[in-house]
Parts: sequence; structure tokens; C-alpha cells
Amino acid sequence: MSSDERELHVRGLSRFIDDHCLPGQSLYAAVCSSKVPCAELRSVDIAPALALPGVVTVLTAKDIPGENQIGAIVGDEPLLATDHLRWIGEPIALVIGRSDQAARAGAAAVVVDAQERPAVFDPREAARLGQLIVPIRRFEKGDVDAAFTRSATVVAGRVESAGQEHVYLETQGAVAEVDGNKVRIRSATQSPTGVQRAVARVLGLPMSDVEVDVPRLGGAFGGKEDQATPYAALAALAALRLRQPVKLVLSRVEDMRLSGKRHPYSTDYRLGLDEGGRILAFEVTYYQNGGGAADLSPAILDRSLYHATAAYRVPAARMTGYSCRTNLPPFTAFRGFGAPQAFLAFEAALDHAAQATAVPRHELQRRNLVVEGDCLPCGMVLSGARATETFDDARKRFDLSKRLARIANHNACRPRLVQGLATMPVCFGISFTNKILNQASSLVHVFTDGSVSVSTGAVEMGQGVSRKLARIAASVLGADEALVRVEATSTTRAANTSPTAASTGADLNGMATLLAARSIRERLDALSKSASDAPLSFSQAVTHAYASRISLSAQAHYATPHLGIDPETGAHRPFAYHVYGTALVEVELDTILGTYRVTSVKVVHDVGHSLDPGTDRGQVEGALLQGIGWVTCEDLRYVEGRLASDTLTTYKVPDILGAPELEVVLSESDNDRAVMGSKAVGEPPFIYGLGAFFALLDALRAAGARLPEGEYDSPLTPERVLTLLCCDGNR
Amino acid sequence: MKQVLSLNINGHDRDVMVSHEDLLVDVLRDQLGLIGTKKGCGHGSCGTCTVIIDGEAVLSCLTLALSSQGKKITTIEGIEKDGALHPLQQSFIERGAVQCGFCTPGMIMSAAALLSHNKSPSIEEIKIGLSGNLCRCTGYVKIVDAVEVAAAKMRQLDAAQKGA
Ligand code: FES
Ligand code: FES
Repeated sequence: MSSDERELHVRGLSRFIDDHCLPGQSLYAAVCSSKVPCAELRSVDIAPALALPGVVTVLTAKDIPGENQIGAIVGDEPLLATDHLRWIGEPIALVIGRSDQAARAGAAAVVVDAQERPAVFDPREAARLGQLIVPIRRFEKGDVDAAFTRSATVVAGRVESAGQEHVYLETQGAVAEVDGNKVRIRSATQSPTGVQRAVARVLGLPMSDVEVDVPRLGGAFGGKEDQATPYAALAALAALRLRQPVKLVLSRVEDMRLSGKRHPYSTDYRLGLDEGGRILAFEVTYYQNGGGAADLSPAILDRSLYHATAAYRVPAARMTGYSCRTNLPPFTAFRGFGAPQAFLAFEAALDHAAQATAVPRHELQRRNLVVEGDCLPCGMVLSGARATETFDDARKRFDLSKRLARIANHNACRPRLVQGLATMPVCFGISFTNKILNQASSLVHVFTDGSVSVSTGAVEMGQGVSRKLARIAASVLGADEALVRVEATSTTRAANTSPTAASTGADLNGMATLLAARSIRERLDALSKSASDAPLSFSQAVTHAYASRISLSAQAHYATPHLGIDPETGAHRPFAYHVYGTALVEVELDTILGTYRVTSVKVVHDVGHSLDPGTDRGQVEGALLQGIGWVTCEDLRYVEGRLASDTLTTYKVPDILGAPELEVVLSESDNDRAVMGSKAVGEPPFIYGLGAFFALLDALRAAGARLPEGEYDSPLTPERVLTLLCCDGNR
Repeated sequence: MKQVLSLNINGHDRDVMVSHEDLLVDVLRDQLGLIGTKKGCGHGSCGTCTVIIDGEAVLSCLTLALSSQGKKITTIEGIEKDGALHPLQQSFIERGAVQCGFCTPGMIMSAAALLSHNKSPSIEEIKIGLSGNLCRCTGYVKIVDAVEVAAAKMRQLDAAQKGA
């Protein structure tokens, strides 16, 4: 059961970071962070903290032996603040205590003298002030202005999409210790190499002196791609200084206040269609709220631009993106990585067009879906497109017209509970948008008893990547799957790993594992041919190979082919392939209270040839509920840069009572672009959840609400829905 | 001031030294090493710290350790019988109700408390029984499914026992 941790989980035996180093076995660290959003840092007085019982020491920027910098894309994030404070929650000092209470009390006692400066929270204002994290990103396809001139209908408006807190149930944390001359860190990170690199930089050590082990993550969803790094680096800094194990685990409130979230976007759109409802032109400008440091914002903005046209064919398009520096905690990766904001904006534009033309939204969607051979605005030509196929499958299978008729009937007599339904098609590109990251390696050992060990950079966080890797190794080797152990990720066994992110964990590491296993299998096959006529079992072949002094280990590397700019055509190809699917999302809205339920979600989802259908189904179900949460109940609120929704009671994620009835149909197809014909599954289904937003708009309209034209604000919390209902005057 | 607290945990009597403000979750985890009980929020809103005290599901992060004096506590480590997984543990694995696993112990404890009071809960009753437990990974579908399956299995086992 080694690649399947589920038995450990149900027995309560799996150890997460906080389950290591129980009291007495380590020191504890707590972060003293900025209480103001923008200021000049004048001085930090640590004496009051040092005077407290149980406080061992306090570290500030000047205690950093290497470079005080953890920014991976842009070097704009000191580990501990030096002369400026740029957001509430920016780490200033680290207090180490004998207990976590002592450390936290110490952190509260540090006296920070700071001169406040005017802060900026709104991305449009930041753009106006020229506060950009990277230069404006823009690309264009076709003659956009001419296409707008030709358009019979042109709609324009604005979409506000709020951020989203990850609420991985395991908070951020790390345990660090110094073992001889090696720094060893157990970190809850999706980026073991990212942590290793940052720690080496901060401590002034070669990367080979830093080992990062990631046993498992209690959820991550992108929130531990870059944002686990500071806590690992801080724990390592303290452990190296004190030569004792140091544990740093954030409480839930600390985690919510300090850690980054999905980027809020403010978006302008303009969409042009011909008389037949075919899209001619689209123009979009994203103002991405990046927060106070770059983190992954530029890469996330790139994915927004690549997904600007959602699942649709758009002959002429102009995309512009501003990554805006504001005085909020740095926003970061979250499932979808900029694509959900882009999908929401495009679907809003389409909704607007549907209102303007009185053509049903699902009709407009269907007429404009991408098809085989279409060239996306980025230059990528689609092959294996399944947008229309999955849309039609969902439409027929779930009887869209009957459902719509039933709803229209139901709503006709203006009942208190009105209903709404939206179709939500997906076309999601798979690969890291940063080409370099599309590589992975795998180390496979076969032991003399026929059991197998696989080491890769794929971090297990519940997405089932270990089971997929085990299945790949077992099937290529001809080994018993139950005897394949997929090891926890360690930078000593897997070097230079890419983060387990962008849904690519199984694609990249699976392919590398397949290649490594195949080279061992080929050695065994060559040997059995020369050895005997009767085919050998796997374990016989292994015994024989060992006796013949043939290596039973292999390491292989895989790099996704054909990505980037084609030197001949100049066409850009950011993705290996796309994932498709369509959801039907139904809601029921109480027109008096403004409360609502997402009653049912029906999905046809494209999985290629699934490596593990149960796991893939689970990913679809979990992702789409997160998507529903983003556009409905998850209400991230800042007041003057301070997070007001900083507990699980003020920030509501969907609970079991809010979970709709789900039906997920996995639709198989061939895919020669990923391991064993499979397809990535982690992020695309998040987009289905956005259907709840549009279903609610329909329900509001059915209730007679006069919605402001061309203004789309997400999330549609019950509070906001009630406000929209009240705009109406008839009720 | 520390004082002795006598607990019956998973069938064993244990004495621990605690102070007034110590929370049960910390005593279980830090002093008794029962790390299967998780601390996802520390303020009563995630359910990962759920244990069973005298038959009721309780959030151990909101429970003062001293208030459990003399009570019978069951944690996730204590629900296996004779080395065999509890039907809920079995069904959570089989139905794919476990992803990252962080919510799992608390979910199973809430479900176990529910099933001890209600042997054939409806889907609605299952949802209400688990409504204090958050899961960010699964979308809950397979969790409800797993509880239903376990309930059926437990009814069968009961019937078989009565028949025997
Ligand atoms: S830790 Fe007790 S409810 Fe969250
Ligand atoms: S399985 Fe991860 S929170 Fe439930």
C-alpha cells in the first residue's frame, strides 16, 4: 500500500508538518509582521521580546548570513523587511521560543517604529501611478479595430473578481534542523527545489548543503507553490543560528493574514458579434492586483492572457494585462492560475451579448466554441479539440432543453424560489506557461525481491499523483503495483524539480517515470531473451539480472516537446494540449431572503485515457466546488489593507450542506501528448464552478431584478444578491 | 498550576499533568502523541479536531482538558477493532473519500458519532451530522457516499451478530 496513503490517513497515522517535533523536541518560531500597509521602517526594538520568559532569541534582517531575498521571478521580496514595509503581514522579525506560546508572545512584544506612507490598494490606481510589477503585457491577433467596425453588436463593460483564500486545511509550516553540516528542512511546499534554492540563497550555502523533504501536504491548491518558501527559510535561518531543530507552523488566523491568495482582477471587456451571433472581435484589459511583491504574478497574468478567449473562437483579439503593485499581501497561485479570472470576464461579456441580442447564452456559447484546427490568439493551433463534442454530449445527455423548459415554466408564475441554469464550457491549456519548468526526472530502483521505489519531484497533496506514478511504473516494468513505493519528494533524490503545479505533476513526472522504468524493462527483456525460452516472471527476471550484474536502477529525464516559438512559422505554442468539458449548473434562489443553493451540477469532462478514474473524478468534484465557492460564498474583504475575513467563520468556504448534487461523466479520448494517453485534471474543472455565477444571474433576472448592464461583480454573496433583488422595485 | 487529569482514552486509563487553560486537542497531540487528531483552525470552525467524548462528537479545540476528567474519549487511533479497520475507515478508502487526508480523521469521528445514534441516516441527516467538518479537497460527494456505505455495512454486521 506504499503508494496509497489513504490507509494511513484513515487511521490517523500520516504525519503532517505540525505532527513532527512535539514539544520538547524542538524550539518554536513565530513571525513578527507589519501592522501597517505602507511605511518606512525606522527601527526594530527586540529587547522587550528578549526580556520575556521562554524567548531564546530574536532574528532580524541583519542576522541573515546570505542574501536577504526570496523573490523567485522578480527579486523584490526580502525574507525579513529592511527599510520599507509594503503590506500588513510582511515579516519583520522572527522570535524563537521554547514553546509556541513563548514565541508568539515574543513576536507580539517586538516594538516596530515605522513612519506610515500613503498606501494603494486598488489595482487601477496603482496602474495610474505607474506601480507595475513587470512592464505591460499585450498581444494581439487580427485587425481588431476593423472587426469591431464590422460588428453588428458591440457590448462593453467591467468585471470585478475578488480574490480567494486557499483554505488548505493544513496551514503553512516547516521544521528545520542542522545535521552535521547539512541543513535539513521538512517543508509543506509544492516547490521543494524552490525552497532549497531560496534557503541556500538566504543562508549563503550551496544548494547541495540544503535538503528539503516533503512528506505530504494537507492540501495546497497553489497556495504552497511560492508561499511555503518564507516559512521554510525562516525556520532554516533559526535552526542554523541555534543549531537546534526549529518548528514554524502558522495558526489559521496567521495563515489567513500572512499568506497570499488568488489575485483579485478588475477587467474591462469589449465584445463584437455579427448578425448571426458569431464573435468577430474581443478586447480585454486586466488590472491584476499583485499585492506588495511579485511572487508568481507575472506568470499568472500570462495565463490570463492565454485564456482570455476562454473556450471560444475569436478571429480578432487584443489582450492587455497590468500586473499592479499594491499594499496588500502578495497574491499568488491558486488552482487555475489566472485562467478563472479570464474565463469569468469572457463569459460575462458573452452574457452581456446574450442580453443585448436576446439570443440565449448557451446558444451563443455553442455557436462560438473552438473547433479543430482553430488558431488561438497566442498562435497555438488546436488539435484534438473537443469543445463542441463535450458541449453537445452534455447538452444531450443531461437534456438541456427539457431542463430549460422546466425552469422557464417554474419561473413563469413568479414563485418565491426561482431557478437558473448556466452551461459552462472549458478549454484549458496544459503546461507551465514558463517553458523552462516543463521538465521532470524520475529515479527508479528495483530491489532484488521485485519491489520498486520511485522518486520524483511530484509532491503528493491529495491529488493522487503517487497512485498514478505507481501504476505507470508497475505497468511498464510488469511489476506488482502493490509493491511499488512512490517515495516522498526529497531534493536529494530528485534534483532541480519543477513545482508540482499547473496540473502537470502526473504528466511530467509520469513520463519521466515511464522512461526510467522502460530502460530497466529493456535490460530485463534483453537478458530474458538470451537466458531461456520460457518467459521469466518479473521477480525471476530481476533475480537473474542481479546475478548477471545488470543495473536495476535507472534515472530518466523528460522535457515536454514542441513548446515555445516554432522557428519556422513563428507560431507560439505555450501548451502541450488542452482539456475540454462542459458543465450544467443549476441554482435555486429565494427571492425574499437572497439566499440560494446550487442544486445540481452535471459535467462531461475530457480525461483522455484516465490513469485512475476514481482519482480524476475526485479532482473534478473538488475543483468545481472550489470554483462555486469563488463566485458565491467566499468573500475576501480588506479594510485599509487589513484582512477582515481572517477566520473560517468570517470567510466561508462551501460546507457539506452547500455541496450540490454532482454528476460527473468522464469522457475518454486519445491523447498522444501525455503519459499513456492520459490528460491532466487538477485545474480545468475549477472553471465549471463559474457556471453558478451565471445561473444566479439568470435566476435574478427571472425574479425581475434589473441588473446593472455591463457590470459584473463576483462573488455573488447572498448579501449582494439581496441588494440586486432590492434594486427591482416590484417586490 | 498543573494538576492531574485522569482520562480514559481509547480504552486505556491515562493520567496527565495539565493546567487550567490547556485544551484537550493539545493534551491529546502534545502529551499523548495522538497526532491523528488535527488542529486545522483552533477556533471551532473546521472540525479536524473532532473526537468522541462519552458518545458525542466534540471539538477538542474548544474543550478544556480538565472538563474531560473521568470521561471516555475516543480518538481516530481508537476506532479500529481487534486490528481491523472500522467500516467507516474501510469505506472512506474504498469510496475515494480521502484526498489530502487532513480532514479525514475528524470526518470519520463525526460520522462514527452520527452512526452510533442513527443507524440508517438519510443523506440529509448525514450532511447535517458532518456539517461542522470542512473538506477543501473532495467536494464532499464521496464522503457522503462513504458514510452511506459504512452505515449499510454496519447494519449488516449488526444483523449477522443478532442472527448468530
Ligand atoms: S481545530 Fe477544532 S474546529 Fe478547527
Ligand atoms: S481530503 Fe483534504 S481537506 Fe478533506
